[in-house]
Amino acid sequence: MADVPMVNIKINGIALQAPQGEKVIEAARRINVDIPFFCYHPRLTMENGANCRMCLVEVATPRKNPDGSVVMAKMPKPQTACSLPVSEGMEVWTETEQVIADRRGVLEFLLINHPLDCPICDRGGECPLQNNTIHYGPPTSRFIEEKRHFPKAYPLSEYVVFDRERCIHCARCTRFTQDISGDAQLDFLFRGADMEVGTFAHTRFSSRFSGNVIELCPVGALLSRTYRFKARPWDLMTQKSICTQCSNGCNIKIDHRVSQLQRVNARVNEAVNEEWTCDRGKFGMDYVSSPDRITTPLVKRDGEFQPVTWDEINTLIIDRLQEAGAKVGGIGGTRSSNEDLYVWQKFFRQTLRVNNLDHRMGPHFRPTNSGLYARFGYHSMNNAIADLEKMKTILVFGSNLVDEQPIIYLRVRKAWRAKGAGIVEAVPRSMKTGEEANHVGEFASVRLYYRPGTEVALLHGLLNVMLYENLLSAERLGEIKNLSIVQNAVKSWAPEIAAKECGVEADAIRRAARLLATDQMAILAGETVTQHPYSEDILNALGNLAILTGNPGNINVPVTENNQQGAMDMGILPDVLPGYVGLDQPGLNTKQMLQGAVSGEIEALWISGVDLVNRFYDRDLARRALEACSFVVVTEHTLTETAQLADVVLPTQSVAERDGTFTNVERRVQRFFKAFEISPEIHPEWLIFSQLAMRMGGTAPYFSARDILREIAASVPIYQACTPRDLGDQGVRWHYPAANHTADLVGVEYRAPAAVSA
Amino acid sequence: MAETLVLLKHRDVPGIENIDIYEQHGGYAGLKKALAMERDAVINEIKTSGLRGRGGAGFPAWIKWSGIPKDTKKPHYVLCNADEGEPGTFKDRELMLKLPHMVIEGMIIAAYATQSAKGYIYIRGEFVESARSIRRAIDQAYKKGYLGKSICGKEGFDFDLYIHMGAGSYECGEESALMSSLMGERGQPRLKFPHAPLPIHEGVWQSPTLINNVETYAAASQILAHGGAWYATMGTENSKGTKIISVSGHVKKPGNYEVELGYPVLDMIELAGGVTGGKLKAVIPGGSSVPIIPAELCKDFKLDYDAHQVVQYSMRTMRLPVVGSGGFMVFNDKTDIVVLMRRTAEFYTHESCGKCTPCREGTRWIFKILSRITTGGGLPGDIDLLVNICDQIDGRSYCGLGDAAAWPIMGAIKHFRHEFEYWIEHKRSPVGEDCLPPAPEPLNPLLTLTPV
Ligand SMILES: Cc1cc2nc3c(=O)[nH]c(=O)nc-3n(C[C@H](O)[C@H](O)[C@H](O)COP(=O)(O)O)c2cc1C
Ligand code: SF4
Ligand code: SF4
Ligand code: SF4
Ligand code: FES
Repeated sequence: MADVPMVNIKINGIALQAPQGEKVIEAARRINVDIPFFCYHPRLTMENGANCRMCLVEVATPRKNPDGSVVMAKMPKPQTACSLPVSEGMEVWTETEQVIADRRGVLEFLLINHPLDCPICDRGGECPLQNNTIHYGPPTSRFIEEKRHFPKAYPLSEYVVFDRERCIHCARCTRFTQDISGDAQLDFLFRGADMEVGTFAHTRFSSRFSGNVIELCPVGALLSRTYRFKARPWDLMTQKSICTQCSNGCNIKIDHRVSQLQRVNARVNEAVNEEWTCDRGKFGMDYVSSPDRITTPLVKRDGEFQPVTWDEINTLIIDRLQEAGAKVGGIGGTRSSNEDLYVWQKFFRQTLRVNNLDHRMGPHFRPTNSGLYARFGYHSMNNAIADLEKMKTILVFGSNLVDEQPIIYLRVRKAWRAKGAGIVEAVPRSMKTGEEANHVGEFASVRLYYRPGTEVALLHGLLNVMLYENLLSAERLGEIKNLSIVQNAVKSWAPEIAAKECGVEADAIRRAARLLATDQMAILAGETVTQHPYSEDILNALGNLAILTGNPGNINVPVTENNQQGAMDMGILPDVLPGYVGLDQPGLNTKQMLQGAVSGEIEALWISGVDLVNRFYDRDLARRALEACSFVVVTEHTLTETAQLADVVLPTQSVAERDGTFTNVERRVQRFFKAFEISPEIHPEWLIFSQLAMRMGGTAPYFSARDILREIAASVPIYQACTPRDLGDQGVRWHYPAANHTADLVGVEYRAPAAVSA
Repeated sequence: MAETLVLLKHRDVPGIENIDIYEQHGGYAGLKKALAMERDAVINEIKTSGLRGRGGAGFPAWIKWSGIPKDTKKPHYVLCNADEGEPGTFKDRELMLKLPHMVIEGMIIAAYATQSAKGYIYIRGEFVESARSIRRAIDQAYKKGYLGKSICGKEGFDFDLYIHMGAGSYECGEESALMSSLMGERGQPRLKFPHAPLPIHEGVWQSPTLINNVETYAAASQILAHGGAWYATMGTENSKGTKIISVSGHVKKPGNYEVELGYPVLDMIELAGGVTGGKLKAVIPGGSSVPIIPAELCKDFKLDYDAHQVVQYSMRTMRLPVVGSGGFMVFNDKTDIVVLMRRTAEFYTHESCGKCTPCREGTRWIFKILSRITTGGGLPGDIDLLVNICDQIDGRSYCGLGDAAAWPIMGAIKHFRHEFEYWIEHKRSPVGEDCLPPAPEPLNPLLTLTPV
């Protein structure tokens, strides 16, 4: 904003300064002058907006006479404040007789065809149309003709149902699908008073972000099929929360009533989700109020689960854990809060004195502080989500981004659409799904759909172009040590050769290399990279690319699970304590624990909030291990397949029932708060561990998640800034103390995919 | 007073739509003269001529032409608005059909003056014959080197011309909606200055764009051929040159007439052979968007851009245009003004694009009220309601279509309020039954589902 010149304007006689180009409605809001609106939305483009005409104001601008004198010339027509940029000397009036009459007129027009069925409308009570009508509308209507009629509920998708009678044609929904989600699935059909929102040829509204239009719609026209007719807004209570459906950590509001989740709305966090959610999050939180929730501890007797008291179960668990001694393992935790995880690992390490803890589901179990960390000083995603907007180029590598990182996907699209970034998509051919509604390929400048397994060849090809067509800064190259390692490795990978190996076009490699050769380039590597047999090679090659282009801090290998980042930070890993402090004598990793259970080296397993059988990469091993292990505790919400195999199942609180923090993919520690309680018999995990630890003679008990967070902040240096008070509503990102951005190049040899399958 | 034939001079020459005949009658002389001049001199010639846009608004052409940036960082475009949808107007249709080369020549001149390499003629979807004629003319012009690379041997002046057919929307004649439509988007208008840059800076594909009406380009070719000063000798002080007026309705000889601007309304009726079927009742002088003028006031009006009607409403006084697009409709005393307005309202209801609230909702509301009145359901208070609805649309809508829908109703109520009152009170037409629109033709029996 600093370099935008300020102009002097007057609104209702109040003089103020506004940055040039700011819309009148925004300037007015800053001085608390209310201009009513429907179609205006700061995140949607105005090109297809300014249509509701609710925000009309009177405007005058200075005009120079031929003799040099200046007069204020009133614009002959009222102007829409939502689209009119301020200019020097402009004067605006928002409460003149004319403006008041215009607002009445617009509202009368909007209401003549409106069904006025507020009493049965989900929006009633929080409806901009109601609110504006109360403040600015005519008291009665003069319309006595027949209104327009449509069937009340038209299903657009599994999630969204459309009441065409209520639509006021503000084009917010259509603009959302064009500007933000990019699928452009909603548009207007027909024209004039027959105009209606719809999808092309009545196809399914399959956007991955369809739920957002429900919140954007200023009336009750677009409705949630899961929430429709469930509650009146004034009966709802709202709590701040965090979405648990992926690692992006969207800020949400949980609306609940009678101890049940009714709906999920987005909560604004500019750094994370802005004000969006994906459908997985918005409609996937209903597990919280699932009728299948376990509400008491269960123990398996004669093959049947029977409810028992916490006292009984704790005694049993303590007996069995003591029997097992050091032959105990803990698996899972990506769904638990940082507080749960911290107390869990403390219980294991200090009370049970074992390091057998791991949240990873395979297939690779490398030392935590090797790989990317050893080379660059960070583990997963180094950039902030919002940093992606500043990039000139973003390389999406081996990732089905919209599935793995829905909100990062939106940010990448924003970087492209609003900021003009070039996007290079390099993914295995199997991901070439151009017809899908939301896909990076739709807007990528260059698409490279390679033969799976040829990643390194592709990266060599890109580097070959950069090095041999002199696309890189000579100055930087001069400072880089061991340049010859890479030069030699990629020398034989001229684009034609790489193209042939990877099954892409040589020209595409050349174009991609040109885009990527900038020092404002970020890499987003996805699951096909992390799960690749040669993933280390690929990451090394990506590292070389980052170093040579001057982006050593812009490598991102984002985690995918809800609190996976927190599980790493809190040391749910066999070889590090909280804060990545290395252990001399690491414990067993997930795979080793499961193998140990089969062979008898592990006698007790604690599975926390993960359906191991279905999530572990080797289902068979997981099943055999659980069957063989003599004592299996599972903490869960419902009886999953894994829980069925347990000896003891402990009910745990969901995100809606407790306080705590999650750490999202960009290391932002974010608080969530208790919304309601389902049963006093459901405990948070930290309480379970804390009680066990106390009874086993370990640490003093904790009384709240806040206590634990304070202890984390005091004892884990990277979480120093994460006290309950400092986190606030928007969370705090923790930073690596000494990220090493001057890493060295390493040699990477290409291993052909044939060798992979062998 | 007689016609002043400038554009239509050779209209009746057989084969004038062919390039050779057109050239024999002085065709492409204007272009050749232009190419021998500096670009600025061409624009200067247009300025001298005083040519104003013939699409309806009468905006001085040279201001647009000279506003196109002098650099060519982005490509420049020349668009010809041939969507002619205004009821009562059919001049562009005939120009394109009979004198396609004149239009093309004008566009090439404009392209030269504005350094544009691409042009589009956006032709109304129904004008298939006109489009064919333009198509043939473009092909001939390419062959003769008037289009394509290095036009007339002028190194560096390349211009390609394309036809784009509309899909049947009046609104797509509005220049910004035309641009949306041309770019493949929904035919809805876009933000205007000062809310967005002017089309001369950011028009189609965010590039500088010159858009003019068919007749404007045709006039430009004649101005370059004969000189701006010559053109300026015709017409009036503020409205120079000639204008094609499309006369229709209750006259003996409907058709296109080219007259000097400033031509009296009553003379126009005489030129078209006078009123038929009765006495003169009223004239809509400039297309359906322009308010109606009752017979007794016709003597006060001349067809030029200064002429206006004053319509006064609760809060404001409006000066409404007279010439508009030149759709001159004459009505005899058997005409029911209320029914006429109902038909007009039906048109605007049908053509509203639906984007903005006042026009989308208001036009249909007006139509419903007028339908109710003309079927005997009028209520006291309906007239004030109509006036008030019009007042709520005019100036509040997103583009000019909303205004254009309100003006005729406002004008009709101003001059013919008694006819509305008659309908409401007596539930029948003040001029007798034969004014009512004929019942729709019975469906072709073969198309019905009942067996014959
Ligand atoms: C609703 C509406 C419809 C219009 N239709 C036409 C049209 O069919 N042809 C036309 O030339 N101009 C039409 N115009 C005027 C154009 O917006 C624009 O003013 C014109 O193309 C400019 O050309 P000119 O300067 O040569 O008149 C229309 C305007 C409105 C508001
Ligand atoms: S959308 Fe608003 S005004 Fe319309 S019925 Fe619902 S609550 Fe009432
Ligand atoms: S459905 Fe809602 S958001 Fe979409 S145009 Fe209608 S009122 Fe606006
Ligand atoms: S006035 Fe509004 S609804 Fe009517 S055509 Fe223009 S933009 Fe569309
Ligand atoms: S809010 Fe400005 S026109 Fe809708």
